[in-house]
Amino acid sequence: MVAMFEKRSLRDFDWLLAILAVAIVCFGTWQIRNAQPNETFWQKQLVGLGIALIAMLVVAFTDYRKLVNFAPAFFIFGLALLVIVLIPGIGMKINGQRCWIALPGIGQFQPSEFVKIPTVLMLARYFGRQRSGALRLKEMVMGGLILAAPVGLILLEPDAGQALTYFPLLAVVLFLSSIRMWLVMAALLTSLVAIPAAYVVGVKTGVIKAYQQERIQAIIDPDKVDPKGFGYQTTQSILSVGKGGIAGSRGNDEFSQSALKFLPEPHSDFIFAVTAENTGFVGCIALLMAYALLLSRLIGGARRARDRTGMLVIMAVVGGLTFSIFINVGMAVGMLPVIGVPLPMMSAGLSSVLATFMTIGFAISVQLRRFVN
Amino acid sequence: MKFEDASQNLRARLGTIQLIVFVLLAVLGVRLYVLQIVKGKAYAERAENQRVRLLPIPAPRGAIFDRNGKLLVGSQSIYNIIVSQEDKKKDYSPLIPPLSASLSIDAEDLRARFAEVKSQPAFQDILIKENVSQQDIVWVESHSLEFPELRVELQPQRRYPANGHLAHVIGYVGEVSPEQLLQPRYKDKGYKPGDIIGKEGLEAVYDEFLRGRDGYRKVIVDSRGHIQQEIARVEPQSGQDLVSTIDDDYQTAAEQRLQMTPTKRGVIVMMNPNNGEILALASAPTYDPNLFSQRMATKEGRAEYNAMLQDPKTPLINRAIQGRYPPGSTWKIPMAVAGLKQGAITVDHSNILCGGGIMVGNKFTRCMGNHGMPELRTAITRSCDGYFYRLGLKMKIEGIMKMVDEFEFNKRSGIDLPHEIVSWTPSPAFKAKMQPKDPEWRDIDTVYASFGQVYDIITPISLIRAISSVAVGGQMYVPHFLKEFRPVAALSEEGLADYRPGRPARTFDRGQPKLIEMPEDQHAVVIDGMWGVVNGGGTAGAIKMPEVEIAGKTGTAQVVGLGKDVGANKDHSWFVSFAPARKPEVAMVALVENVGFGGQFAAPASRAMYDVWYAKMHNLPLPMPGATEAGKKAPVQIADPEGNRVTIPLAAPTPDASAPHATQDNHASKRPKR
Repeated sequence: MVAMFEKRSLRDFDWLLAILAVAIVCFGTWQIRNAQPNETFWQKQLVGLGIALIAMLVVAFTDYRKLVNFAPAFFIFGLALLVIVLIPGIGMKINGQRCWIALPGIGQFQPSEFVKIPTVLMLARYFGRQRSGALRLKEMVMGGLILAAPVGLILLEPDAGQALTYFPLLAVVLFLSSIRMWLVMAALLTSLVAIPAAYVVGVKTGVIKAYQQERIQAIIDPDKVDPKGFGYQTTQSILSVGKGGIAGSRGNDEFSQSALKFLPEPHSDFIFAVTAENTGFVGCIALLMAYALLLSRLIGGARRARDRTGMLVIMAVVGGLTFSIFINVGMAVGMLPVIGVPLPMMSAGLSSVLATFMTIGFAISVQLRRFVN
Repeated sequence: MKFEDASQNLRARLGTIQLIVFVLLAVLGVRLYVLQIVKGKAYAERAENQRVRLLPIPAPRGAIFDRNGKLLVGSQSIYNIIVSQEDKKKDYSPLIPPLSASLSIDAEDLRARFAEVKSQPAFQDILIKENVSQQDIVWVESHSLEFPELRVELQPQRRYPANGHLAHVIGYVGEVSPEQLLQPRYKDKGYKPGDIIGKEGLEAVYDEFLRGRDGYRKVIVDSRGHIQQEIARVEPQSGQDLVSTIDDDYQTAAEQRLQMTPTKRGVIVMMNPNNGEILALASAPTYDPNLFSQRMATKEGRAEYNAMLQDPKTPLINRAIQGRYPPGSTWKIPMAVAGLKQGAITVDHSNILCGGGIMVGNKFTRCMGNHGMPELRTAITRSCDGYFYRLGLKMKIEGIMKMVDEFEFNKRSGIDLPHEIVSWTPSPAFKAKMQPKDPEWRDIDTVYASFGQVYDIITPISLIRAISSVAVGGQMYVPHFLKEFRPVAALSEEGLADYRPGRPARTFDRGQPKLIEMPEDQHAVVIDGMWGVVNGGGTAGAIKMPEVEIAGKTGTAQVVGLGKDVGANKDHSWFVSFAPARKPEVAMVALVENVGFGGQFAAPASRAMYDVWYAKMHNLPLPMPGATEAGKKAPVQIADPEGNRVTIPLAAPTPDASAPHATQDNHASKRPKR
């Protein structure tokens, strides 16, 4: 923390990264206001931005190595939260999912967003040691176990969307820990075969529920799906995106898709559709470029990291962010089925913004300490 | 990188991840390009369509008046309760118990209604109760928070007169059926499901003029169908009022007279022979058109309808245009006119033997009396069958067919009512069809064809048309109800979106009447004969009127066999007439089903009509039940039964005279009766 005041720290602090993140949240807040002008979501988002900014700075100016050392403690604490959230009475049940803990006076928070941080730290800690040669089976199993604990608990909530966002963390870490390329190729090929097969089996056995099937059908064949059924969200999202055209309505449409409630969850899961309707192609591309810049900046930081652990922390963050962005925007543009994954820094929600800013804080912390011994 | 490890290709792997990140974002960018730039307009349109809805404002239908401006049918505003359908998937069953309890709707009906709309396009509103009471409206409004999908809607509805008054003339309206929507004449005119159209009677024939042009409200709705804002409004333009040729006093009198007959079944048509305007057309029994315009959606209504379809008294049939009856001796009038025209008889030499009947082959077909060798006048007045058997044989079947052609008995009259049927008229072809076992036309068939039985089975409207033309000396008009359509003013200004052009006044396009050449002297003889029927001691002498000279002709239509009184299948009683005899102003046909000998009921019913007519012409109190005391005359009884003495046994009794007598056996013996 002392380093915060050192001139060098200020010089090495990745201002661009922080400003990009803040700018995206501000842009998102405007869209939240467009989506729900009569609700307080956008004001809450600004408050959340303030809190998240402070948290980011605190994390950034803390030595990440210390935090990595404490990773097991954080991890167990995180798992404990995931257990607590399952207890009826503490965990709030919304839409059949028990994934929120109510904090009197503050609001509610979603442990599954935060547990990503200790999970990343745990993975970085385990795979961060100096290594030579390819990844061994034992290490892979270990990585799998680290991931399995939070994912299993999250699936109990059940929140499949959030659980899904944990997988890229491990995937990136394994990939960068010199997993054998043939294993990567094999995994890719297997998933090419296994995912459709799993879908078929899931449908046959009833594991994949009817509404989930319909959401998937909405992507595969949008014309065949009942536009008023479970394909409704996808249909309406595509309409909203398409309606935006080149420049969008710039918030001047009193009767937008979200105002008329055609678009569900416009402030959270479908914030991208709102963005598209309001800012059009120009705004959407600008947002995607901002994300690209932010992610490149993070990857650049990873390249310059002074140790494996730091590099892995940043890259896991990159993997997580990229995955969430792709899943959420893919869903909004009708390429992917509807999955409840928030768009990082855009979707309304304190937990998501706070967790994302903290991970970015880690990345900044790693960069700040690239020359420090 | 401080931990360089060449064996791990870390740089390459980081590069790969960066590449993947860019590729994924680029994929999203391409997709956005497709959605927003390439297809943006189409999606914007679809988004626009789902938020903008046109809500029709139903236009009032034109009213129908009688010739004196008396309102016969109008529209009144009713309130309906509507459920706005937000989502096809939505389960409405939780609504059923509270709605059926509070609005007293049958729970089963509601369930059926909700099930029905599942197959309809989305956002179709569901009508759950029609013509609701004030209490129902209050209930819906006070429960708007609990049941936001409920709505009360104003709709103009047709109210038809009670007791089936004028039902067969005016008809009724109803919702356009899915089958009709497939027909080009509805589809091309832009009819859409739920539209109310004329289904029967004048409502159907003049639907195009009576119907207004609906207005609409263009509104923005949210995803639940709740109106957010009205962005445009086009006012409805009401339909054109129809002034009919009906005189409601005559109509009421005609209906009452039919009600006073023993069987309460029959037809009275009163027409102006000088132009074809129908003053009254009553067909009994009648039905309640409100069933179709109001109650068809209910279970009771459908049961009522099915009962009517099954009813052997066929209340839905307009007997004047959809009933076929043998004309009996009324047939002698066109026969007489044609006989003179064709030269079978002449004005000076019209005597033909009666002979008490005729022997054709080994069959004797008798006349009811023995009239010696009467001239035409007497033959009409006395209704001498023997005379007309021989006249028919002189004219031959070709002559009779020529007469049929001339009086257009083998055509529709062209009346402005739907579903008019064509009479059956004698011809060898008709016999061949009717009696395939004995297709050959014989003299005996000509005899039958000449006195209005067996091969002559005609509609009352075709008969009144023919008799009217005889009355006025040859002009045969198309009978009709339309006097005029009143004009409707234009709405808004030309060129504006909500402009509706005005609709001009319109009268019935009568065209030129068909002219039947009738030399003055020949005409006079026939009129004299008809005059004699009432005024010269003829078959309807009992209805002689001191004030006006009625000319007429009685008739008896055989049902099973003439004069065979078998209870329900008694003969039909006819009376055709016009008055004043020498300068006719009204013509009339009266038919009473299954009451026995001609004239016994039909002639007095006609007389009662003439009483009303005379009183009206002279501004006297109308002699009608319920109108004045003067109307309560006892029915005139005719002691002298008139009719044709032929008995043609049928293999099976046919209760309905309009059914073909296809099982006729001409070889059966013709026993004299009475």
